[in-house]
Amino acid sequence: MAEIIITGEMKLSDIVESDKRALVLFPRFGIELGFGDKTVADICTRREIDLQFFLLMVNTFLNPDYFPDNQLRGVDVDMLIGYLVESHNYYLEEKIPYLQSLISGFKNKVDHPAVVQLEKFFDQYIEEVTDHLAYEDETAFPYMAMISAYQKKTDSPLGQVDYSVNIFEDRHDNIQEKLSDLKNLLIKYFPPANDRYIRIRMLNELIDFEEDLINHARIEDKVLIPVVKQLEKQLRLKK
Amino acid sequence: MSKTLLIAEHSEVVRNGLVHIIGSFGLFDDIHEITTGSAIESSLIKLDPDVLIINPLLIQPRFPKWVKEFKSGGIGIAAVVYTLFDDELKELFDEVIQIGDTRLKIRNKIERLACHKPKPGKEEVESILSKREKDVVRLLAKGMTNKEISEHLFISTHTVITHRKNISRKLNIKSVAGLIVYAIINEIVSVDELHGGEAI
Repeated sequence: MAEIIITGEMKLSDIVESDKRALVLFPRFGIELGFGDKTVADICTRREIDLQFFLLMVNTFLNPDYFPDNQLRGVDVDMLIGYLVESHNYYLEEKIPYLQSLISGFKNKVDHPAVVQLEKFFDQYIEEVTDHLAYEDETAFPYMAMISAYQKKTDSPLGQVDYSVNIFEDRHDNIQEKLSDLKNLLIKYFPPANDRYIRIRMLNELIDFEEDLINHARIEDKVLIPVVKQLEKQLRLKK
Repeated sequence: MSKTLLIAEHSEVVRNGLVHIIGSFGLFDDIHEITTGSAIESSLIKLDPDVLIINPLLIQPRFPKWVKEFKSGGIGIAAVVYTLFDDELKELFDEVIQIGDTRLKIRNKIERLACHKPKPGKEEVESILSKREKDVVRLLAKGMTNKEISEHLFISTHTVITHRKNISRKLNIKSVAGLIVYAIINEIVSVDELHGGEAI
């Protein structure tokens, strides 16, 4: 994959030409296709998106080696949460239902006793992912948004709170591992079953989802958690 | 090649110190920490680390046997020691990190562990299971725990764990649910034998 660093002067259409994976990020920022020759900077101004934040998310997404430590510390918690929540919505409303439809299509086409278990495996996995995302959306992120709002608003110390980012960190487990199992089963072990393109489509989608989740977890572990820890520290210091 | 380190140490001061110092070497992509001996076996299976640094006190009664079994799995194991400890036992480990070691000394020891113990690459390993490994897969698919499998096959739980590690490495399938699908595909187990049809 070409490793270009996306900058504010680049046209959105050129970014898509150079790496089609960028497409999936646009909805997460409320950017719609049909943007003509607008540059990244143009669209960010128009849609009130923080340009630096947009570049950081796009570049880390397209290039796993792009991880500028110095820029990550100052990232705004609310922007991060907004981005992560939009990603969750995409997984839950788009990606997972599509994968489910492919797997059930595969099941209908393939006559093999293991295919039922394969679907069961996937369904259980989806339950785990859904729980994982729901916990973040309903517990971890609201807490983070709350302390971020508090930090911006007032100088008085925060009262007793029964949650901290350490709890989130402790229970933040890896949700892409089973996806990798599923991928390997389909590539290496599930016998040829005259399934032609449906298995290839499934694999493309699984690989895509896996990459997205790895990036997502990396943003949470390496950016969100340190930033919120810093915020908690500042709040404790308030007198 | 990406490398993983697991640190098993109950003292937060020592653990954080190790993470901080070793983290600065840039030898590992992932450094995981655990604080009790009870989590160690499951962590080893799950993380499949290249290097383990462990305080021997965490696994004291069972460790001589244990260290041998895991070393056969290709992990480099270092003991972190800051209490009095039997020298003979220390020899079981590949390296011993003393609390008074300098940064450079620690670096040398860790590099030896990380570089001289290459695990068999995933591509080189043939994805064919031995008869015993198939037994383990079959019993796992039936819903047995490590302990039940060990009793059933008359082997120690550590051996079961070593088998499981090798199975996961050979097949590149880590979850039990994934292994069940593999087992059905390869007719190691039939659908009727599955434990209530459940796979976790």
